[in-house]
Amino acid sequence: MAGAREVKRRIKSVENTRQITRTMELVATSKLKRATDRVHAARPYANALQEIVGGLYSSEFSEKYPILRRPEHVRRAAVLLLTANRGLAGAFNANLIKHARNLLEELSDKGIETELHVAGKKGIAYFRFRGEKMLTERLDISDYPSIEDAESVVGPIRDRFADGDVDAVYLVSSEFRSAMSTPPRTFELLPVKPRGEASSSDAYILSPSGDMILGRLLPAYIRNTVYTAMVENAAAEQGARRTAMKSATDNAGDMLEYLTRTYNRARQAQITQEIAEIVGGAASLE
Amino acid sequence: MALDVRVVSPDRVVFEGEASSIVAPAWDGRLGILSGHAPLVTLLGAGELNLDRPGGGSDSFHVAAGVLKVDRDVVTVLTEYAADVPPEEIPAAAIVFAEDVVE
Repeated sequence: MAGAREVKRRIKSVENTRQITRTMELVATSKLKRATDRVHAARPYANALQEIVGGLYSSEFSEKYPILRRPEHVRRAAVLLLTANRGLAGAFNANLIKHARNLLEELSDKGIETELHVAGKKGIAYFRFRGEKMLTERLDISDYPSIEDAESVVGPIRDRFADGDVDAVYLVSSEFRSAMSTPPRTFELLPVKPRGEASSSDAYILSPSGDMILGRLLPAYIRNTVYTAMVENAAAEQGARRTAMKSATDNAGDMLEYLTRTYNRARQAQITQEIAEIVGGAASLE
Repeated sequence: MALDVRVVSPDRVVFEGEASSIVAPAWDGRLGILSGHAPLVTLLGAGELNLDRPGGGSDSFHVAAGVLKVDRDVVTVLTEYAADVPPEEIPAAAIVFAEDVVE
């Protein structure tokens, strides 16, 4: 009977697939570990920098340094989207792209011109397919992004803001809450919004001066925000891939169980039929 | 009284602990900090950061660019570079010209 052989072939193929997905799951798990360590290592600096920038920030500085300018009316906004270079990570890339598309639509509805900057092959492939123009296309960000990567991505956009070419910069990336929960989010990178408690800079001796310190710190702050987002995005990607590959492995296991049962049934049917044929043949000779 | 010191670079905490005094390379020269220093935020230049431990002994690193904050005996040093050896190239952010400061 052809059924049994057919099922056997499918079992082989599912077994091979399961082996691949399991390997990918293991690779993602070990990469996730390293990526998570980097996320945690980047937090103390980010938090401390945010605290200092937030404490110094006051609106009087706004006009002195172009990086501090706060446009009253936003005419043109830049959107920086971070995606992964590789797929097979569940809905990770699709979620990010969808989030960015919604943001772009929302901005256009408000009558704001938009420009798109994308890092990561998946996002670039999508927008290229849709025929949308991207000002930045970066494919060279590794699984372990460095502070130099962040600078090279955001530096030109920051300059565009300082020069007045764009009035707002949004960053779309994944938030790394845990390996299981990595929702996409939008972060308003520029103009810089003061956060935390109100300006407490009066109490401090500022050397050389408040706006000078901010003028120096803000580029570093923006670079570091992008760096943190990149590191989190890389960890989120590995987390999403591990989850996707784990469920693929589990599904392959379920399928194997079902196929094995089908195979045994087919085999038994074959044996039964053969016996029936022999018995029938013997009976006809009598 | 000892200072509570944290030296942090973008990808790690370089030092965390107590110190009796610190000498840091501020943008305009070396800056010493002892317990009871007034609240201060200053830009950093490039150079060696020295820490004296309360029990004796000392630590030192090379740092470049960033900012130093003192608030009620808590010293936070945020630097873009921190290592045992000086950077090959001093980052532009570590250089502050006096003429930029004068208004």
